[in-house]
Amino acid sequence: MTDDAAGGPDVRAELRRAVAAPASPGGGKGVTSDLSIDEALLLHAIGWEPVDLVCGVSVASVPGGVWSWGAGEIAVASEAQGMAFEGAVRRISEECGRVGAHGVVGVHVEATVHRHHIDVELVGTAVRPVGGPKAGHTFVSDLSGRDFSLLRQAGWTPVGLAHGASFVYAPRRSAGTSIRQTGANVELTNYTQAMYAAREAAMERMQQTAIVMHGAGIVEVKVTEGPMPFAGHAIGFSAWGTTVRLDGEGHRYVRPRMVLPLDDAVVTFEAQSLRG
Amino acid sequence: MDEDVLPEAAQRRLGSGAWSSGLSTADFAACVAMGLEPVGLVQGFCVMRWGWYGSGNPYMSPWSPYASAGGRGYSEVFRCPHGYGMGMTGGDHRSWGQNYEQSWVEDAWHQGFGSAYRRLVEEAAEVGAHGVIGVVDTARHLTDMSVTEFHMVGTAVVVEGAEHPKGTPPWTTYLAGQRLAKLIEAGFMPVSLAVAMSSVRVWAYCMTDYLMEGRNFTWGGYGAQEVDQVIRARMAVRQIARKHVRDQLGGDSLHGARMDTYGWSLAEGDEVVECTLRGTRVRRFKGFDPVAPPTPTVRLT
Repeated sequence: MTDDAAGGPDVRAELRRAVAAPASPGGGKGVTSDLSIDEALLLHAIGWEPVDLVCGVSVASVPGGVWSWGAGEIAVASEAQGMAFEGAVRRISEECGRVGAHGVVGVHVEATVHRHHIDVELVGTAVRPVGGPKAGHTFVSDLSGRDFSLLRQAGWTPVGLAHGASFVYAPRRSAGTSIRQTGANVELTNYTQAMYAAREAAMERMQQTAIVMHGAGIVEVKVTEGPMPFAGHAIGFSAWGTTVRLDGEGHRYVRPRMVLPLDDAVVTFEAQSLRG
Repeated sequence: MDEDVLPEAAQRRLGSGAWSSGLSTADFAACVAMGLEPVGLVQGFCVMRWGWYGSGNPYMSPWSPYASAGGRGYSEVFRCPHGYGMGMTGGDHRSWGQNYEQSWVEDAWHQGFGSAYRRLVEEAAEVGAHGVIGVVDTARHLTDMSVTEFHMVGTAVVVEGAEHPKGTPPWTTYLAGQRLAKLIEAGFMPVSLAVAMSSVRVWAYCMTDYLMEGRNFTWGGYGAQEVDQVIRARMAVRQIARKHVRDQLGGDSLHGARMDTYGWSLAEGDEVVECTLRGTRVRRFKGFDPVAPPTPTVRLT
């Protein structure tokens, strides 16, 4: 290999060589992956490789009438969201196992709540250690290839996707309260309380799924919350993230080095300052 | 459109001596640094009209679509669990349903996309390019919902100091700039775009109809349930797209895959779900030692 002045491979020479003598197609089963080239290289650096693009889908029905006015949690809707998540995770894990991978990274999570059904769709890249044995258990993680490699370097391993959801009615205000609050700047405590109730139930469920997976904690938690577009008095809260646990003896401290980039992104002069 | 012949104006423009490029300045600089010289902005178009009728379309059949999907590929039947035929259900009861691959829709899509792609490659070959980089493809509806324009644009490049391999069409890739440089450094060479579209139609049977319309209580229980027929359709549409792409790879790999799905519900649980999967087909041309584990850094700005 020819090296350039910086010590790396000479890409010009590599390119000329590849164009002059095109390689024959690979004989084996090709790899499909939605990882960036950086992520693929990082995976290789820690001894892993992408295998295949995999997905999991679930649609869970929500019976009619559950979104009408009520009090407390909308248990059937919460159950439907949990069921849809579990179903989608189970299917993507099955696909991962079928292609002989150990887990799925960079999973894109799309959860949509409709009036009569809740859809969850997961797409990610199945990965495995290079030349590793067949896995007994597969993990699903929404961490990027970059985060996965950093996590492994620090001595941790992902064990699965934790999730929790809750839907709660914001109770009706009494007629007197409603009249008093008309035209006033006041907190709508019924909504605030519904938000808190949904949040606590969803977070507890998410942590419970992590405990079931024997995880130590959850990283990169994402939350979505707010009233349903088709039922403004119903508050939904969903949370999901990657459950992790220590792999081996303990945490390995990743000692970062400080760098001073030479591409100065700081604007030191603004033309508008001339105008006082 | 006459195949293999570029419009006269295009031939004149491409042969004018100056080149144009769709690359960003950063991508342009990175490409020049690795010995890729832009020779022209190349494009391909195809406008397709979508008809109800076509080879394999069950609407052509005198029979109900329930009778035969007509197309090829994935098909699955779902039967009513409520005792239809034994006098236990009404005449409007949807006693069975079907998921099937709409192969005529996929064929039409591939015809449109493939024509635009072929025209892009022809333009690149006309200017003597080795490859086309930074390809962007779009598909959009024109004037009304049954006309679709496929448009592809990319930058044709030659490799500095390399001879053109005879009889080989230019390679194509969605990548450009640093991402392309890293791909080549990692030992992969782009071969072509690999793109596929799949389409599955759901004719709902009674259970799907009830569950998707919130009428769970009509038959058997009140609670959340998975909707098996729709799940199987949505899984199938993704699996079909992957199979179509894998068929194009011929042992090579797909880099930077992007899967997009979209669907629309029709009524009473019926829906159409479609999926496109696109990426760059790459081929290993040399061995590659893994890079050293990365060093975490903290920026001082």
